[in-house]
Amino acid sequence: MRSKSGILLHAIGLVLIIAFSLFPFYWMVSSSFKTQAQILASPPQWFFTPTLQNYADIFADAKVVNAIINSLIVATSTTLLAVALGTPAAFALARYEFKGKSDLWFWFISNRMTSPIVLALPVYLIAMYANLLDTHIVLILIYLTFNVPIVVWIVTDQFKSIPPDLEQAARLDGADQFTIFRKIYLPLGAPGIAVSAIFSFIFSWNELLYALVLTRRNVQTAPVVATSFMSGYELPWGKIMATGTVIVLPVTIFALIVSRHMVRGLTMGATK
Amino acid sequence: MSFLQLDTIKKTYGDVSVIKGVSFAAAKGEFVVFVGPSGCGKSTLLRMIAGLEDVTEGHLYIDGKDVTYEEPAKRELSMVFQSYALYPHMSVFENMAFGLRMAKVPEAEIKTRVTEAARILHLEPLLDRKPRALSGGQRQRVAIGRSIVRHPKIFLFDEPLSNLDAELRTQMRVEIAKLHRDLGTTMVYVTHDQVEAMTLADRIVVLRAGLVEQIGTPTELYDRPANTFVAGFIGSPKMNFIKASVTGVGSGSLTLANPSFVGGTLSVETVSTGRVKAGDTVIVGLRPEHLELNAAQPLLSLTLDFAENLGGATQLYSRSEGDIVAIVVHGRPDVKPGDTLRVGIEGRHIYLFDANGLAL
Repeated sequence: MRSKSGILLHAIGLVLIIAFSLFPFYWMVSSSFKTQAQILASPPQWFFTPTLQNYADIFADAKVVNAIINSLIVATSTTLLAVALGTPAAFALARYEFKGKSDLWFWFISNRMTSPIVLALPVYLIAMYANLLDTHIVLILIYLTFNVPIVVWIVTDQFKSIPPDLEQAARLDGADQFTIFRKIYLPLGAPGIAVSAIFSFIFSWNELLYALVLTRRNVQTAPVVATSFMSGYELPWGKIMATGTVIVLPVTIFALIVSRHMVRGLTMGATK
Repeated sequence: MSFLQLDTIKKTYGDVSVIKGVSFAAAKGEFVVFVGPSGCGKSTLLRMIAGLEDVTEGHLYIDGKDVTYEEPAKRELSMVFQSYALYPHMSVFENMAFGLRMAKVPEAEIKTRVTEAARILHLEPLLDRKPRALSGGQRQRVAIGRSIVRHPKIFLFDEPLSNLDAELRTQMRVEIAKLHRDLGTTMVYVTHDQVEAMTLADRIVVLRAGLVEQIGTPTELYDRPANTFVAGFIGSPKMNFIKASVTGVGSGSLTLANPSFVGGTLSVETVSTGRVKAGDTVIVGLRPEHLELNAAQPLLSLTLDFAENLGGATQLYSRSEGDIVAIVVHGRPDVKPGDTLRVGIEGRHIYLFDANGLAL
């Protein structure tokens, strides 16, 4: 039993952490409803009459709308493909012994050890020779190289925590490997799959470097467009913040939808 | 031909030999128990029958068919795991129906069979629950139910009761015995608990270090253990062993010497006089429940160490000259630590083993 002062300190700590992490978010959202003068006012204006002008401006801009659609296409396709390709790989790595397994495992992890900028030029050249510059496909492919390892990594761990007895019981029940994967491992691995899907989505949605290097006009993604406001002689803070808010929304919604699968103790009751 | 036959089955993991050649046959409807200490290979053997472990050498036949390399599902067996291995994301009904769905049994038939199994195992009110909402005993029943619905040729049980508390274990033991009586299916049951082995088995296979020590009915193993290992394993508390030297070999009797014996010597009737000679060491086996206090013709003179009152019976731990002897007596004898006990036994209850532990 914790003391009352302990609980109070705990609560204060939590409030501070929440305030610290949410304040920038608050600043972005509130600024998106301010005029340029209100944003630049010092001291900051805590109370103001909100305006929707910034949103009207960005949604009137075909570039922004297109960018968001592009981002949605790229992030959704990447996430779906990463999960579809990564989970069977994770199943194999978690449950089978085969030659070169540990090397393969290391390769999956080491994929994330390289700094993306190191590969930017070679990737650009490959994309150019393959005539893939400024297409959705090139972004999806390059994001998959980052996201499949993440899915494999997280989901393998999740699959390993499923008692092997369950698989053997299913084998005796007459289930083949694919059925075991589909009926036992996928539902029980849902928390890990959900986490890895969120990571995939966020990564693909936020990625800036490759999006900047590999796209021109047609498939610019949202982060690329948001930064493009920063060129020229003025900084339209209101539009930047409004774009930022719009960019954050889909990720938040996606995370909320998926997070209901992130319940712990899903395998409880399988074994004593 | 036997219903289940193991023909010099061997299992090795790399250089480690786990099962070193087990041959055994069970008749249809028989309840066979594999018993032995942990690490003896009994679970591995069961999993080889199930098809979950490969057979390194030897052959396995079920119902006259060689299934050594057959897929687990095609062997038409079902297994109750020590951990139950219930599918946690499925309801009790779905857990039991899973195997039938895999076998593409019609939905109406699935419903009939699951309902029937649920009735037998008193699971009817729980069919919609998930395993996590069940108690240990209920999970155990579901695991058994999942086996029953498939109408397997053989039931395999891998230490199914070891996760239950003592009371529930006794209750489930009785239920499994009833189930065997009602279904009449061949059952192979693995346990390290000799009480489960004695009470459930038609025949017991005693294993040690990957080898069969003895196969027989519970009574045979209790009355005529092949060696000191089986003698010590079957029966609780375990048999007392006292080493003695042979001082005289008569026709149909041996004279043995040990300071614990009253008068220093003991004459035992045996038919195996030809296998020992004077000067040999033999092991005398005495079951605690056969020993009696205040015998008219005492055989051992012992000092009481301490007594455990079990209510209806008392366990006495006594010693003499380095031998520790346990005695079980009915009621509560009026003795206290330090007392000298004069203990007797009927001649027919004396077991004799040679120096290597083999029965004489």
